[in-house]
Amino acid sequence: MTEKIIRHVLAEFAYQAPKIERGYANQTLYVNVATGEIKAKPVSEEMKFKFTGGKGFDLWLLWNAVNDNTKWNSPENEIVISSGPCGGTTQYPGSGKSLVTTISPTTEVITDSNAGGHFGPLLKFSGWDAIEVQGIAERDVVVIVDAIAGKVTVEELPDAPTDTHLLGAWLYDVLAEKPHEKYYIAMVSAGTGADHSLLGCLNFSLYDRKRQDVRYKQAARGGPGTVLRHKRIKALVVRAKPFRGDANHPADPERIARVGADMQHEVATWDPVQNRMRNRGTPYLVGIMSDYDLLPVNNFKFGSHPKAHDINGAYWETRLTQGLPDGCWYGCTIACAHAVDGFELQTGPYKGQRVIVDGPEYETIGAVGSTCGIFDADAILELNFYCDTYGIDTISYGNTIGFLMECYEAGILDLEKTGGLELTFGNAAASLEILHQVAQGEGLGRLAGLGIRKAKAYLIEHFEADPQFVQDIGMENKGMEYSMYMGKESLAQQGGYALTNKGPQHDEAWLIFMDQVNNQLPTFEDKAEALHYFPMWRTWFGLCGFCKLPWNDVVDPKNSKSAEPAKIPHHVQNYVDIFAAVTGREIDINDIIAMSERVYNLQRVFNIRLGKGLREHDYPPYRGVGPVTEEEYESRQERYDKQLREWLGLDPDAMTLQEKMAAHRKYRTERYEHLMDAVYERRGWTRNGVPTVEKLKALGIGFPEVLAVVEKHLQVEG
Amino acid sequence: MITLNKRERLEWQEGLTVQALLERKTFTYPHIVISINGIVIDHDAYAETLIPDEADVRVIHLIAGG
Amino acid sequence: MKVLAYVAQKCTGARTCEVTCAQTWFKVQDVSKSSIRISANDGIFAAEFCIQCGKCIEVCPTEALYYNKQGIVLLKKDLCVGCMSCVGFCPYGVMYFAPEEALAFKCVACGQCVKACPSEALKIVELDEASTSVWDFRF
Ligand code: SF4
Repeated sequence: MTEKIIRHVLAEFAYQAPKIERGYANQTLYVNVATGEIKAKPVSEEMKFKFTGGKGFDLWLLWNAVNDNTKWNSPENEIVISSGPCGGTTQYPGSGKSLVTTISPTTEVITDSNAGGHFGPLLKFSGWDAIEVQGIAERDVVVIVDAIAGKVTVEELPDAPTDTHLLGAWLYDVLAEKPHEKYYIAMVSAGTGADHSLLGCLNFSLYDRKRQDVRYKQAARGGPGTVLRHKRIKALVVRAKPFRGDANHPADPERIARVGADMQHEVATWDPVQNRMRNRGTPYLVGIMSDYDLLPVNNFKFGSHPKAHDINGAYWETRLTQGLPDGCWYGCTIACAHAVDGFELQTGPYKGQRVIVDGPEYETIGAVGSTCGIFDADAILELNFYCDTYGIDTISYGNTIGFLMECYEAGILDLEKTGGLELTFGNAAASLEILHQVAQGEGLGRLAGLGIRKAKAYLIEHFEADPQFVQDIGMENKGMEYSMYMGKESLAQQGGYALTNKGPQHDEAWLIFMDQVNNQLPTFEDKAEALHYFPMWRTWFGLCGFCKLPWNDVVDPKNSKSAEPAKIPHHVQNYVDIFAAVTGREIDINDIIAMSERVYNLQRVFNIRLGKGLREHDYPPYRGVGPVTEEEYESRQERYDKQLREWLGLDPDAMTLQEKMAAHRKYRTERYEHLMDAVYERRGWTRNGVPTVEKLKALGIGFPEVLAVVEKHLQVEG
Repeated sequence: MITLNKRERLEWQEGLTVQALLERKTFTYPHIVISINGIVIDHDAYAETLIPDEADVRVIHLIAGG
Repeated sequence: MKVLAYVAQKCTGARTCEVTCAQTWFKVQDVSKSSIRISANDGIFAAEFCIQCGKCIEVCPTEALYYNKQGIVLLKKDLCVGCMSCVGFCPYGVMYFAPEEALAFKCVACGQCVKACPSEALKIVELDEASTSVWDFRF
């Protein structure tokens, strides 16, 4: 860079990075962008024992930072990011995730999201187990953790662009004094879409040494990017020193190397004949989901589409750049973080630019693609790129557009209300146009940028939409848009989506095959057990800094002979080994579940503290449970009629379509109530979904301020 | 008739192979374990293995995570 | 390009090569630090070591592995983050790992073991002269 870059340092804090011991830096970083206060907070042994790290640290810091009335846009709301003790391990695939937690603008409770990229591990290697950012800055700022200079600054960089792909290129150039220094820089940013919508995501960068360019992975759910931009933060940046593979200073490096070598070899041997993650990434699922009637099509009306095979795994293998080590952190040979290189944009402010499209992920293809009736790969890539650089969650955006398309086709919206856009399923140009409007805060983009829950309220208030109809078809729960699996034929997955803390993201439980296809969870108790075990197991990844994919996206076939193949016992053992070898704390699977339960229950109580988190918030929209419209029923009539015979002993031939639909609705919604009872009981909660005092005490989180939250509710329930 | 995963009843016809069943059900997920009357069938043998009438067929998809 | 080659018929199983290699590169006698490994099966010896095929260069995310001008695969230690991708993906299982320094290591055809072998079972030859039959492809 030749021109002089203007950098106004508003606040500065000098520090010396401590040595990392057994996966912990033993301090967290507090930054207030309003007051300029920056300080280190010590991490106690109790905090490590009880909350482990990652989302556990995030939640505990946030719990202590806010009050009962804090809203997403209150100055005291924070963005907290932490990787976890095993985060930054390079020898085991999938050990570099960062967890971000904040109060969400769409759900108004706690949201958490994980992302790859290098930020979390490099933050730790620079001396911080977590960063919490509080306050609302007066003007746009960048927070820079500079381990090389030994300081943390809040700076104004007036020339910094906002959209991520421009900002990343610019900031890396500004901050790297020599080209190699880029390897050790990571940033978190959003974009102009997050400025004008509630669906803001965070982009977590990494420097791709082979491409010699900056790449991005997204922590997207629940609008954390909106919170970042509302705080007027353009980016959080870490500039780390070069590091070695022992940067965590693990207790037992030999044990890690042994397990790591085994797993690396397992990936090398089996991935090519299983999911081909190394070639296809998560899009391998598109065709398969369609085959099983699980791919959301046209706002989750249907589960399959013949054109799904135009954008299936085999297709993406021809489209994604092959042969590069696309791990989102070093050592991840599952390497699902693929990209399409040299993609020429056809629309919007960056039309004509050739860019790297990070992805698409399966979820993105489902959301901006199939659930909007769009099966055009180029359109999906364009939507993917712009969502990322604008800082918008692809899942929430696509799902919201799918909802609005159905509203258009149902007559709730018309050409006048859409500003002339013919918003029918399959209209990719319209979706792109709205996306650009979101980034500018204009037109229909303002409605779409609210997300489904708030858009529903708007449609009811201004456009006389039938409240029951929009409630039925809007695929949101708790204010969060569903991720991309059709749950109509899997009761367990209906719970896996709606009986969650943050909302319907499948990262708590994905039980569709076990339940619907394999019939391994026949009773309510079986489903409840699965809805206890899997959410706890999967929560644990986010406490430690692990990715969930290497757990079950490649598996040595010997697993099928194990006692509980769905749990993949030999991989569970790998995680036990890695955790113990990093931290020196010997654990077993029961400890893992207990570690997660503590954090999971704290999150539930946190939601209750913020005025939600009860049974009434755990209901899915009926579109996620059964057929809402006649069109849906008729499209799967054979199945639904058969179910009436087998489940209810009814004769569908003697019934009208309305009667059949009503019978389904009654049966399916009652069944869901049963499931709720069974799951709450298994989790140690009351029928209203409140963790009991005994449960919280047994978990070791019976702190007075935690108990005070539930006691109010327990008295009411009596 | 055969029973699939302890629940679904399916028509049986002479010469029904494992492969044909997978195709009929569009079971395309690559990572599955199949047993017929409790005996696990080798992956390479799907095309030749015949399913007898009244068989208890299990097609277990080994995936608990999307 | 020159690589290490091994003549099984001449090998007497003295394992001098393993010790020499560990001593040369790690200054220890511990043969788990050797880049050549001799195994015996029914009195028939076999050796495993790198044939400089370059597969590891492809999977390395840090640009730490590279071919030098002589066609030998070398590791830049300051770029290596110890991720073991190369260890898991080496088709012959001859990329090794030193946990205590979190670095990969391999045969760089330095020839020290050739000099040390008492039975002249090892030599440095042009690649096309080397028989690859001694290597066991792992996938
Ligand atoms: S499997 Fe994919 S998402 Fe997970 S760590 Fe590896 S590259 Fe990242």
